[in-house]
Formats: sequence, structure tokens, C-alpha cells
Amino acid sequence: MTATTMELGAGTTGYRPTATRLAHPWFSLNVITAFLGAAAGYGIGHWIGNYIASNYAVVQSTGQNNVAVVLALFFGVLGFIVGIGGLNYPILKMFGYQPEERAPVEDWTKYFRFSTDHKVVGKQYLVGVIGMFFIGGLFAMAIRTELTNPTTHFFAPDIYLQIVSEHGTIMMMMATSLVVGPLGNFLIPLMIGSRRMAFPRLEAISFWIFLCGLMVILTALPLGGFDTGWTGYAPLQTEAAPGMDAYLVGFGTIGTGMILNGFNQIVTIVNYRAPGMRWSRLPIFVWSMLATSFLLTLATPVLFVAGWFGVLDRTAQTAFYVNTHGGSSYLWENLFWFFGHPEVYIMAIPGFGLVGEMLPVFTRKPLFAYRVGAAGMFGVALLSFFVWQHHLFVSGINPDMRPVFMLTTELISIPTGFIYLIGMGTLWRAKIRFTVPMMFCLAMYFNFLIGGITGVYNSDVPVDVTIHGSFFVMAHFHYTIMGGLLFAFFGAVYYYTPLLTGKMLNNTLAKIHFWWMFIAFNFTFFPLFIVGFLGMPRRVFEYAPRLQVLNDWASASAYMLGMSFLVFAVNFVWSVWVDPKPAPANPWQSLGLEWQLPAYKMPWYNFERLPIILSDPYHYGEREALPVAHLQGVLALAGAGAGGGLAPVGAVGPDPGPEISPPRGEAEREDPRPE
Amino acid sequence: MPKAGRLALAVFIFALAFGLGVWGVAAYLRIQPPNVNFTSGHRRGQPVDLTVQTVGSYGHGVHADWVSYLVKGPNGHWVHSTQWELPAHTRINVTVYQYDTGSPLRNQVWGLIRGTGGHSALLNGRRVRLLNSNVGNGVAHTFSVPALGVSVPLWGIAGNAPHQCAAAPCSLRFTHNVIKFSFYTTHPGQFRWQCFVPCAAGYLNGNGGPMDTLGYMAGFLKVI
Repeated sequence: MTATTMELGAGTTGYRPTATRLAHPWFSLNVITAFLGAAAGYGIGHWIGNYIASNYAVVQSTGQNNVAVVLALFFGVLGFIVGIGGLNYPILKMFGYQPEERAPVEDWTKYFRFSTDHKVVGKQYLVGVIGMFFIGGLFAMAIRTELTNPTTHFFAPDIYLQIVSEHGTIMMMMATSLVVGPLGNFLIPLMIGSRRMAFPRLEAISFWIFLCGLMVILTALPLGGFDTGWTGYAPLQTEAAPGMDAYLVGFGTIGTGMILNGFNQIVTIVNYRAPGMRWSRLPIFVWSMLATSFLLTLATPVLFVAGWFGVLDRTAQTAFYVNTHGGSSYLWENLFWFFGHPEVYIMAIPGFGLVGEMLPVFTRKPLFAYRVGAAGMFGVALLSFFVWQHHLFVSGINPDMRPVFMLTTELISIPTGFIYLIGMGTLWRAKIRFTVPMMFCLAMYFNFLIGGITGVYNSDVPVDVTIHGSFFVMAHFHYTIMGGLLFAFFGAVYYYTPLLTGKMLNNTLAKIHFWWMFIAFNFTFFPLFIVGFLGMPRRVFEYAPRLQVLNDWASASAYMLGMSFLVFAVNFVWSVWVDPKPAPANPWQSLGLEWQLPAYKMPWYNFERLPIILSDPYHYGEREALPVAHLQGVLALAGAGAGGGLAPVGAVGPDPGPEISPPRGEAEREDPRPE
Repeated sequence: MPKAGRLALAVFIFALAFGLGVWGVAAYLRIQPPNVNFTSGHRRGQPVDLTVQTVGSYGHGVHADWVSYLVKGPNGHWVHSTQWELPAHTRINVTVYQYDTGSPLRNQVWGLIRGTGGHSALLNGRRVRLLNSNVGNGVAHTFSVPALGVSVPLWGIAGNAPHQCAAAPCSLRFTHNVIKFSFYTTHPGQFRWQCFVPCAAGYLNGNGGPMDTLGYMAGFLKVI
């Protein structure tokens, strides 16, 4: 097998590949060696833990060796990363060798390797988050099954709490990376005209760490689970079964990946923009990724440290969260929510970035109040660090602090309103193309409106005192994150699949999926507002018989909601793999830079020459608008003369450069470039 | 790979994933302590005799050190379960053989006997209504069913008592106390019962471990 070596750093000059040989795929590191490494690491860690702590008094009296469990999980993750080849580079450097710079593998095995191609990492993330979503969704089905009857039970109560906890933790971790992982990594370099992410190895390792985090969380079940919910409150945390170790290590593991990913994206967006990509021309999705990445980088370390405090309490018998030994369980609650509420916006902002990117395409209008939208995202990100104690209104905090946090929480609805209103402004008097991605965008606004308004109720102390810990809060949260982020995500999957795979998803199945999901989602979660108002608390497996009808309705709707995702899965597998239909070039007639080259056919370095950015990508319907970029770079721009590369859309001349916005009819044609 | 092959592989992978999910639910998530049935053969109006024992360490399996309840099944064998099926609207005569050591209660209210016939119990043949855990051996556990209003403290054995039982089931030759009381079941439903003495040795504040695990110090009365 041959591949190319890279000669980056050429700026705007052309790319000159040279050939070199790579090891045979079967004799190099891949996901199989990663699992072998994980198994070996787990065994070694467990042995060390037993060696260290088996004679501890607490281990002998409880029979529970948390040191061994934590070290086993930690070394398991380390073994996995070593096994996938994630540490080859630093290890070689450590021993004084200069690692050979190689191009990524180009066959299908690249998806099972440590790839530094951001497009491959984006696709790996996509499959990873969808898989995680389906696993978390199965737990949701189990929850709704248990709640079909108030007194006859399908699961034992402790198992039910473990299921609820697993569902919450997996879904929160998944949702954190749902857009940042797959679409952030895939799209940011293409949108800003970069050949790669700033730190490709960090990017790749963040994905494999993310995968490890999922596996660690799932190991909680055979370790006895954790019955604290996804919030893991102390002192329950300190008393819980060894499954709690998996929760803490899992959160720490995924948190590491989140920090690396966020840091990498900030550096990439700030430093790797193509010439001409001013801040005022940055796509709104990239703005959303930048705001989210700052949140990831600043908030996640707090969770990371809080988690390791918990690990130390459970292993080294420290007392960070043990009230009776001088610590404070409030410390965990505050540290957790200091991360936890920015976390909510880590999930919400990318959804708005995605719909902000799609709305102009399907309304054929410029994005309304673009700068206000970008400012709104950063306003939300900033304020999100000052609202966390609204989760603790009824925990016994100083009553004088409650109005302060009520005020900051209500303040955050202002920048959130900015973001929402740029969507409404874009829709205003637009000739909307009701494609499937657009329908998901509209549904997102509908759902988020309900979620947002009910959120204002939650932020209000007198109301929150009544509804705290009830199904009302749960329904509100699902409306904002599932109704907001997930609908935006699925819209983006339908929108970007032609770019990611070169295939079009079946439109009929896509519409069935949309309507099925939209109706079932609202049927599932809207009744739960009422259930919450009527007094049903969260995380209980037995409830008042008078609430059974509403709960049964929600359960039946939840099954329908679950099945709607099977329609998507069938559509995706069928259209992309079983019976693929090639997508036309730029099927949505987008002006975005990422659509001007078919990414699935691009070399891993994306651009032969770095493009020159000429305008923002939202000049729909403007006859004299500049093209978004000149794809032949500075040299061709100079050769074309003063106005050559700056010709308006559709202009012809000696060297007009690639056509940026083809007429609708022409855009339907097959891309003639050879694969 | 031809289209049919891809389709077959996709179906196979889906079936495998689905099968794994079902296996996971069936093999792990549905595991519960066995139900011990006291309803079959029960004649309406007749009381049910329920015999249980509490041990300081179960002595078997991965949680050999955990404190636990056991129940004597209708066939006379001891069963490691805390899920008992009982007939509705029936008098339940309970006999507890208590083999664990005791300690003072953190909240003396748990020393009250409530919800039983006469709000009292027989401790080694002596009728009692309140146990003062600050003197003597103290209270080892409680048998409490909040939804039925039942709570009975179980007097501990002395910490230096001879012939302490180390592994369940414990026979009567080991040092123990006998507590007898009666209560009535109500309408059908599932009623959680729990020991409210934090008795999980080694765990923070004595909670966690056996205290929140079915089969040890918590269970259900499944009233049919």
C-alpha cells in the first residue's frame, strides 16, 4: 500500500505529495490491539490495586476494593489508548526517536485506527455518538417500561435507579459531544479554509478517549451500578457500590476528551483560518463551536477535579465530601453544577449554530442579525458560569443567594432570545424550502420554545420550590436538549450526509422519520409536564395510581419515539451502504465554503491551495454578492488580475475560479470529478 | 460486496446488537432475589407464620461480609431473599431470630415498636413496647415497613457473647435473641421494608452496601 507524506506549512503554495510505504494494516495498531491493550491494562491495574489495598481495614470490612476498581479502569483506558497507537508519537519522542510523519491510511480500515484526518475523526465520532445515543435510548425504553404500572414492577428498585443513572449519564456525555465531536471536527477546517485541525493527534485521541469513557460507564452495571442519578450527589456517591468508581472514572475520562477537543477547536479557529476569513465572515456554526469550546475548556476541568476528589474519598479515604470528617457534600454539588450548567449550554449552543447554518440555505435569505447571533452565543456562554446555584435552590443554601441566582438565570434568557430571534428574523417573509433538514430546524424552534418558556418557570424561586425534583423539570430538560439539540443534530445529519459520505439519504424515509419523531417526542414529553405538576417526583419506580393513564400514554409514545430512530437507522444504513445513491454536488445549493468541494472526495489535506475568503457565506438572494472564496488561492487570484477572483456569482472571464453558487438546475448534475 | 451481501450483513449486525440488548436485560437487569411465596395453599382468614433471621455476616458469595436477612420458606429451608409474597388482609405472625450485635440508636424514635398487635412485641418471651438502646446490648436492626406503619427494633446480642454465628443460615445453638410480633397486611401492592439502623460495617456512616441492596437489609412485601 502506498500513501503520501505531508508537506504542510506551505501556506498558499501548492501541495506536493511524495510516496512512502506504510505497514500492512493487519500488522499495525488498530481497534483490536486497542481492546487487547485495554484488557491487559485492566488486569494490571486490578492487580496493582489489590497489591496496594487488599489489607486496608475498609476493604477487609466491606469486601469492596475501590482502589483496585479505579486502577483497573484507569489502566484499562491507558491500555486502550496505547493499543490504538495514540501514544506512539510522544513515546518515540521520549526515547529520542523522530517519529515518521505519515499520511493517514486511505482504505476502510482507517475508521478503526488512530487517524489524524479530521474528516475520518468526524465520521468516527458520528458513529460513536449515534451508537451511544442508541444505548442510552435502550435505557430510556427500560425506564418507560418500568413506569407502565405504578405497583407491578419489571425491575427491582435498585436496578431501576441504576438504569435511570446510566441513561442520564450516557445521554449527557453523548449530548456533550453530539455536535462538537462529529460535526465540529469534520466541518471546522472545511468552513474556515484549513487543511487540518491545529492538533490532529489531540483530535484523534479525544475521540478514542470518548469511546473509552462510554465503555467505562457501561462497566458500572456489572460492578453493581450507581444509583445516584447522573448528578452523583455526595454522600450517596461516597457510600455507593463499585459502579460509582466507573461513574467517576468515566466522567473523568470523557472530560479529558472534552477538554482536549475544546482546546483544539479554539486553537484551530483562532489560528488556522484561511486568508480573508475575518471574524465577521466566520460561519455562525463556527462561532457556536468557538463559544462551546471555551465552555468545554473552562468548565470541564472543574468536573474533572471534582470527580477525582470523589475518587480520592472512595479510595484514599480522604474527606472532601464527607461532612462528618470535616468535608462538605455541598462542595460536590457546587463543583458539579459549576460544570453542569455550562454543560447545558455546551449542548444547546451547537444546536443553534447548526440551524443558523441551515436556515439561510433553505430560506434563500441572509442570516438575520448575524453579529447579534454570535454575540448572543458568547453572552450565553459567559452568563452560564453565574447561574449554577439555581440547581440548589431547595438544598438549604443561604436564602439571600437565591434571588441573585434567580436574577442571573433570568438574565440568560436575553442572549438566548437573541439567538432564537435571529432564526425568527431569517424565517420572516422567507420563501421556505420545506426540505427534511429544514423541517427539523423548524421543529427545533417549536420544541425549544416550550423548553425555554418552562425554563423561566424553573428559574423562579417560588415556582422551583414547588416543582423541583419533579417530572416537570425532567420534561423541561428533554424539551430543550432532545427537542432542541437532537432535532438540530438530525437535521444536520440529513443536511451534511451528502458531504460526509457522498450519498443522499432516502427522502421518503426521512420525512417519515421526521413526522414520526416529532409527534412521538411531543406525545412523550408534554404529558410529563402535567405529571410533574400533579406531584410525581423523578427517579421513583412506584407512583400514585391516579397518574397511571398519563404515564402509560408517555410510555407508549416513548416506544413510538424509539421506533422512529429505527427508521433513521434503516434509512442511513440502506442509503449509505446497502443501496447507495450518489449525491449531486452541493445538493442544497449552499454558499458555504465546505460545500464548494465534495469533502468525501477531497484529499485528507482538504485544499490543494489554501482558499482566499472573500465574503461570509450568507449572501443569498443578493445579485452582486461576492463569491464566498477563491479556491485557487493567492497565486491564481494574482494571475486572474485585479478582479478575476472577485467576480460576482456566475461571472465568466479569463479565470473566474470555481463557480461558487451554481444555478439550481445545474446543481442537480453529477459531480464529474473522478473518485 | 454485492448488495444482497451488504443487506445480509446489516441485518446480521442489527440482530446481533438487538440480541445483546435483550440478553443484557434478561441476564443482568432483571436479576432479583427470589420471591418466597407464602400465599399458595393459604386459606382465607388464617394467619401466616413468617420466620426470618438476621445475621452479622452472610458468609457466602461476593458479599460474604455483608449483614443480611434470611427467610424460612414454606418448605422449611432458609432462603437468602427479602422479597416475600403474602396474602392481603391477613395477620402475619413474625418470628425473628436475631444473631447480630447491637449498638445505641442515633434516633431513639426507632426504639419504639409500632404497627404491631398492641404496638408491642415479645423479646425472648417478655412483652416490650420500647427498647432503650442506650443500655445493654443496644439495637442491631429494625424491621420497618413504612407504608404499613410497622416498625420493630431488633435487640442485639452482646458484643462479647460466646458462640456467635459467622455464616448464614445460623442454627439455634448460636447466641441469639427471639423477637415475635404480628401485623396485618392491607390491600394488594408492593410494600418496601427496610432496616433503618445504619448497619453496613465499613461504609460511610454505616449506609450503602447491604443497606441499599435487595436481598440483604431491604426488600419488598408483595401483597397479593
